[in-house]
Amino acid sequence: MPDTDPAIRVERLHRTFGGGRRRRETVALDHIDLTIPAGEVHGLLGPNGAGKTTLCKILSTVLLPTGGTATVDGHDVVRETAAVRRSVGIVFGGERGLYTRLTARANLEFWAALYGLRGRGLSQRVDALLERFGLTDRAHERVEGFSRGMKQRLHLARGLVGDPRVVLLDEPTTGMDPVAAHDFRDLVRELRAEGRTVLLTTHDMAEAEAVCDRVSLVDGGRILATERPATLGTWISRYASVEARDVPPSTVDELRALPGVRAVHHVPPDRIRVETGAEDAAPAVLRLLVDAGVGDVSTALPSLADVYLHVIGDRGMRVNK
Amino acid sequence: MREAGRALRVVRASAANAMADLRVVYTPVTWTFGWLGRIVMQVVFFALIGVLLDSPERLRFLFVGNAVMVTALEVMMCVASSSWERKAGTLPLLVAAPTRLLPVFVGRSVQWLPSGVATASVALFAVGPAFGVTWTPWRAVAAVGCLVVVAVSTYGFGLAVGAAVLGLPSLRNVSSNVANTVMMLICGVMVPVSFWPGWVGATARALPLTHGVAAVRGLAGDAAPGEVLRDCGLALGVGAAWFLVAGLLFERFAAAGRRTGSIDFAD
Amino acid sequence: MSALAGFRFQLRELPHRPDHLLALVTAPLMTLVFLAITRHAGRADLAGHAVLAPALIALWQMALLVAGELVAAERENGSLEALVATPSSFAAVIIGRVAAVTLVSLLGFVEAWLAAWAVFGVVVTVAHPVVFAATVLVSALAMAGTAGLMSAVFVLTRSARTFQNSLSYPFYVLGGVIVPVSLLPDWLAAPSRAVFLSWSSDLLRDAVDASTVEGVLPRLGAIAGLGFLGLCAGLLALRRAVDRLRRTGTLGHA
Repeated sequence: MPDTDPAIRVERLHRTFGGGRRRRETVALDHIDLTIPAGEVHGLLGPNGAGKTTLCKILSTVLLPTGGTATVDGHDVVRETAAVRRSVGIVFGGERGLYTRLTARANLEFWAALYGLRGRGLSQRVDALLERFGLTDRAHERVEGFSRGMKQRLHLARGLVGDPRVVLLDEPTTGMDPVAAHDFRDLVRELRAEGRTVLLTTHDMAEAEAVCDRVSLVDGGRILATERPATLGTWISRYASVEARDVPPSTVDELRALPGVRAVHHVPPDRIRVETGAEDAAPAVLRLLVDAGVGDVSTALPSLADVYLHVIGDRGMRVNK
Repeated sequence: MREAGRALRVVRASAANAMADLRVVYTPVTWTFGWLGRIVMQVVFFALIGVLLDSPERLRFLFVGNAVMVTALEVMMCVASSSWERKAGTLPLLVAAPTRLLPVFVGRSVQWLPSGVATASVALFAVGPAFGVTWTPWRAVAAVGCLVVVAVSTYGFGLAVGAAVLGLPSLRNVSSNVANTVMMLICGVMVPVSFWPGWVGATARALPLTHGVAAVRGLAGDAAPGEVLRDCGLALGVGAAWFLVAGLLFERFAAAGRRTGSIDFAD
Repeated sequence: MSALAGFRFQLRELPHRPDHLLALVTAPLMTLVFLAITRHAGRADLAGHAVLAPALIALWQMALLVAGELVAAERENGSLEALVATPSSFAAVIIGRVAAVTLVSLLGFVEAWLAAWAVFGVVVTVAHPVVFAATVLVSALAMAGTAGLMSAVFVLTRSARTFQNSLSYPFYVLGGVIVPVSLLPDWLAAPSRAVFLSWSSDLLRDAVDASTVEGVLPRLGAIAGLGFLGLCAGLLALRRAVDRLRRTGTLGHA
């Protein structure tokens, strides 16, 4: 029964590039393990060059692993490529990957034919996708005249043309405007409701937090953690911060001395922000502030962005080539 | 059988893409005055060497050979148009789709075939008489059929070249031009194949154009139908072998890309 | 200054652009084509024609390609308007770049000569080396000037690449690169005299031939004059294009 199989199973998956006589070998994926059950929306969160796209390429059979195994829908990506290709739909961000001289409809018809559709089945699928992505009115216009947003919608429609059980979305919201990004989240929820499995790579925490069932933090070709967004938040609640107003200087010194306090920043004009780094540090900070008679106190759980920055460190903003 | 039907549907879907490209590259006006004019001038340029040689016979020979050559020349533009897939960023999507690459590329550049047959036909029948190349109606019709054979069979060769350089886009124009010039040189376009040493002749016979040129020369002369048919059959047979080579090279391209990671998602 | 910058840029660029060197790749093969035709017809006396033709084609083809490429690249880049707004410096860049490729395309003469010797054992001797060298030099200059006109045509027509194609073989006929224009019908011979290439190819063939060359200076003058006229016509056309750009805000039509 395919339904009892996980939609994606990755074991000790390894991929290196280069390593010839002159070039240094780079590790894109470093023996990763990942299991994604059917119907889950799974986020891969990490900086550029973390290995997210490499994983998507391997899962979509465009790249061979150097070692380890990966299965999609129970099919091995190396040995059973034909079956994997029928199960997977890919969407990547940006504007490339479309035939700009063809109409939106002709683009979809082309890919539908490649996915084995024909006749009525083909035109029904294409009509439904055009309708779903709000492209019906412009279906007979050449794509070169489309706005960026329309091209992205067509990309998404293209990714679904084969009715895939597993959808790989590689940075699909790159360059999307906020409205489009919002619609995109609705789409991902719809895909889940339809029982599809979604693997979404992104470096947008808000996006991952909003749509994912679980998120894997990826960097340097390794999965640092896989958690539910909320669990992930609790797990590093130790990175919570506390803000307060009008704190006497002596109290600030006491705060700095508390175990588990990583830093105390002045936030002009009259506020301070206390960053913690241990599980029970935040409550201790609160207690000390209340005892000192400070009234205006607030706490903030780290957003996924904070989590990401803490786990990955300050490398998060750099691109690793 | 199901596989074949499916491949044909992929060819057709991809051909829609090719025809859309053709409509963007040419309007009827630019095709007629720009492209056709340029092509006819190429035939005239080489045929005029017959004037330099002071030989009406050589002039006719050069005219017919070069008129057939332009069909091949145009079909060889598939080398460049195959690489357009790379420019469009669709290669990873094609590799990831549950279909073989050959049908996609066979459809993708099919636009050059009708154009190549049309330009050569205009050269042969409209310009030919001015150079002493004359036709009876049925021989003219048969010659168009031969041009179709030239186009289809050379297409296999062109796709093989296109597949070979798909990973080296900066070589696409160089490779197609070298292939064209070699065909001009050895396929009986400028001089009979017998002019060359045996091994060159053997190479020439491995190219479909050689047989196609022979077929059209037969029709322009007074060859028996059987001879013309035999040449056409040889052209198609050799062409079919090249389609096979093209298919293998496309698969090899995909396999190499999967190994080295050279098929990028969005670059 | 811009001419010099264009010249340097093009020389640096060339090794990385196999497309721009296309003519030099096919020149030896074209030499074999022309030699095969003449030898098969038993006309060993035409070896000079056969060896000069591919070199002249390389000269023209490379200049045409670079002029077209430059305009197309600037157009894609959205910077064509700014560049053309100063016609003199635009022309200077074109001339600089074309001068560089023309210099390199002279290798075509060497290649053709070597191909003829290596494959057919044909050695073409140049009977009048000074006339030959002078003609090559003046032709290269005329080619750069003519490229100014070509680029103006490309600026004014949006489909530069289609035109780029059309400016090849018609001009090989009119330029008499293999068949001297004196052998063409009269109605073709007259206009061909307006193409500098027809004077160049005649003079080069005469320089190869053993008999005395007549009227060298006036013929060189014709080549130089036509090249200069091409440059002036190109500058004039570009100036008009700029005027239109200022009036209508757009360059050239489809």
